[in-house]
Amino acid sequence: MSIEVSIHQSLRHLTNGQATVTVNGNTVGQCLNDLVNQFPGIKSKIFDKNGKLLNYVDIYVNLESSYPEELAMLVKDGDKLHITLIIAGG
Amino acid sequence: MLTINELERYDRQIMIANIGEEGQEKLKKTNVFIAGTGGLGSPVAIYLTAAGVGKIRVVDNDRVDLTNLNRQVLHWDKDIGKKKVSSAKEKLKKINHEVDIEAIEETITETNIFQLIADFDLIVDAMDNMPTRYLLNKAAIEKNIPFFHGAVHGFEGRAITIIPGKTACLKCVYRGDIPKEKFPVIGVTPAVIGSIQATEVIKYIVGIGELLKNRLLIYDGLDMKFTEFTIKKDPQCEHCGHVKKGYYKR
Repeated sequence: MSIEVSIHQSLRHLTNGQATVTVNGNTVGQCLNDLVNQFPGIKSKIFDKNGKLLNYVDIYVNLESSYPEELAMLVKDGDKLHITLIIAGG
Repeated sequence: MLTINELERYDRQIMIANIGEEGQEKLKKTNVFIAGTGGLGSPVAIYLTAAGVGKIRVVDNDRVDLTNLNRQVLHWDKDIGKKKVSSAKEKLKKINHEVDIEAIEETITETNIFQLIADFDLIVDAMDNMPTRYLLNKAAIEKNIPFFHGAVHGFEGRAITIIPGKTACLKCVYRGDIPKEKFPVIGVTPAVIGSIQATEVIKYIVGIGELLKNRLLIYDGLDMKFTEFTIKKDPQCEHCGHVKKGYYKR
């Protein structure tokens, strides 16, 4: 399964500046693990110590929220993931 | 009924077919609550004042600081040290003296929020932290008041429009929090997002166009892209999950 992950601006320094990364996996979780394998520095920015998504990280699949399945959500070839972080500035 | 002066002042927007005199009268009759008079609150308040809404209440507990001036365009060098709400009111009255501007220097809390929003038709979220945004969201749902969210960070901004009982709410979008932080931002970002929030408010009041309902709009100023994400109402949402058909007819 080839999945394209859009990387949030604030995380791109951890993906060598790449705005998108191609990953493999059958679920959102597997895709993010593949992303971490390629760019280990991103792990602590999206996962907590128990391997759960940080509560200010949201994953969208084909522009729709993956909540509540999140990491367990199934994906298929050609799907697009977006990693977004809560922003609160005003 | 619009006065001769108002017909002239708002002539260019009355010319917009979907607004007309009827739409302008709706604007004049509407009371808007704006939480925050900073980066987002400035453009929101400026454009709603210029557009001729009837009454605006601005609430902020802060004073003007030199570090605000790169983005909070209602506040100027001469205002450093003043209450932000007083500084905002002074400028807004100069933009349009016909709009009733109320300036309240208070921290929005669980204790005072219902008193602050009482008698207001719409709430604009121009805050700088998640706990107060969630507080506003919850109160808007409880009182059935449309809620216009915006947020910024660096060159990124977001907006979504929440209609209680009909759309996803802010707590359907986000569940978490981030620590209150000194966040990076350049003035053009809240200018874009605040203008979008004001546009949504005007459209809602007049009853035209397509609102950002269940649509989280993310603006990336660096890539110069707008991306729209679909948000679904969460039946288990701790803020709006209990709102069922007939809830607001109690």
